Amino acid sequence: MLTESVSATVKLFFREAIARAVSESMRRDDRIILLGQDAGRFGGAYKEFSGLYGEFGPDRVRDTPVAEAAMVGLGVGAAAAGLRPLVSITYMDFLMLGLDPLVNYAAKARFKTGGQITTPIVVKTTAGARGQGVAHSQCIEAWMMAVPGLKVVAPSTPADACGLLKSALTDSGPVLFVDHKRLFSTAGEVPLAESFVPIGEALVRRTGTHVTITAHSYMTRIALTAAEHLAEEGVSCEIIDLRSLAPMDVETIAQSAGRTGALLTLEEGQLTCGIGAEIAFRIRELVGPIRMARVGALRAPVSSNPVLEAACVPSADRVIGAIRRLLNN
Amino acid sequence: MIYLLAVPGPIEDVEEVRVLEWHGEPGRSFHPGELVVELETHKALVEVRAAQPGVLRRIICAAGDWQAVGKPLALLSDNPGEDLVNPDGMLPLLPVSFEIS
Repeated sequence: MLTESVSATVKLFFREAIARAVSESMRRDDRIILLGQDAGRFGGAYKEFSGLYGEFGPDRVRDTPVAEAAMVGLGVGAAAAGLRPLVSITYMDFLMLGLDPLVNYAAKARFKTGGQITTPIVVKTTAGARGQGVAHSQCIEAWMMAVPGLKVVAPSTPADACGLLKSALTDSGPVLFVDHKRLFSTAGEVPLAESFVPIGEALVRRTGTHVTITAHSYMTRIALTAAEHLAEEGVSCEIIDLRSLAPMDVETIAQSAGRTGALLTLEEGQLTCGIGAEIAFRIRELVGPIRMARVGALRAPVSSNPVLEAACVPSADRVIGAIRRLLNN
Repeated sequence: MIYLLAVPGPIEDVEEVRVLEWHGEPGRSFHPGELVVELETHKALVEVRAAQPGVLRRIICAAGDWQAVGKPLALLSDNPGEDLVNPDGMLPLLPVSFEIS
């Protein structure tokens, strides 16, 4: 029997789910501070921090200059000294400037000090193509997955954005939280009660029998659209929303792919050394030889020309074509 | 005549809005240019103004409710006493102007 307390949800915009996660976390733990460009009075580039400056004030919600290396460096140092900073890097492309403190210090501190120093920092950043050209469109999650000690999460729904960000803000860190420009216009049901989504657990978004599709972030929506069209021609797709890229829930993927016997990996970033390549190898080890294909961006920068942008990043049509070819082979 | 007030569009990137505030209860008359309802998108407010006179008769989506672009928000009529019994047919859309801020 469903009870009200179990099923009660409220519909929120994606940005509201993020603001709620940060607000609930900051109330619970006064070590959490927020640093970001326009994160203060303006409320965040996507209004995802709306209300936080008013509630927590300038000591805990700080605007920074356009200086990503300093922002992440400051956050990592503060984390090592006992705070729990949430650093907002508006575009994932500019996270590149902050990689030295994140990769060389934060991700290694625990190993280097025999566990004496941890760096509970969360870096939140926005990936993806939406009309902003070569240096404001990239998805470099796969680079980040290659860093030992760094956790990477990438939700596709408001509920997971809220629950994963809350988990990240209690984690020993460092955690990279990746959202997507095209998710900010979406809305979805979020549990009314305070809830956490564990880092490291994938979710089956749609059950199916013919092919397993893995995706994360905005590409999960593309996969769902493709699956709806394919269902009309009798193809049954199982969609796994990875949610957490590092650590990755390989068991859930293997269980599904073992049953369907076909795997399609979908990502918005580059295929070379990409998430799909990683998944394919690990599933090959666990499940053995099954049919596999991968879909990702073409090997070109994302253009600011909308026609070329659409041609570069994966669409539902490309996913549909790839699945037809995979299943007909 | 009975008119349907629908979520105006298209608005770039927006499929669904949330009703923020109605500017009047059922029974209120609106003149052209008057603000009828404010809607929230993921990043903006949409002010919806009547483009012809009308009486607000029935609110379909109350403040806090969600609705898709093109779908009904309320029923209006030319005159206060007009019968609303058969609003299920193809009602004409109330002409509106809207501004995104």
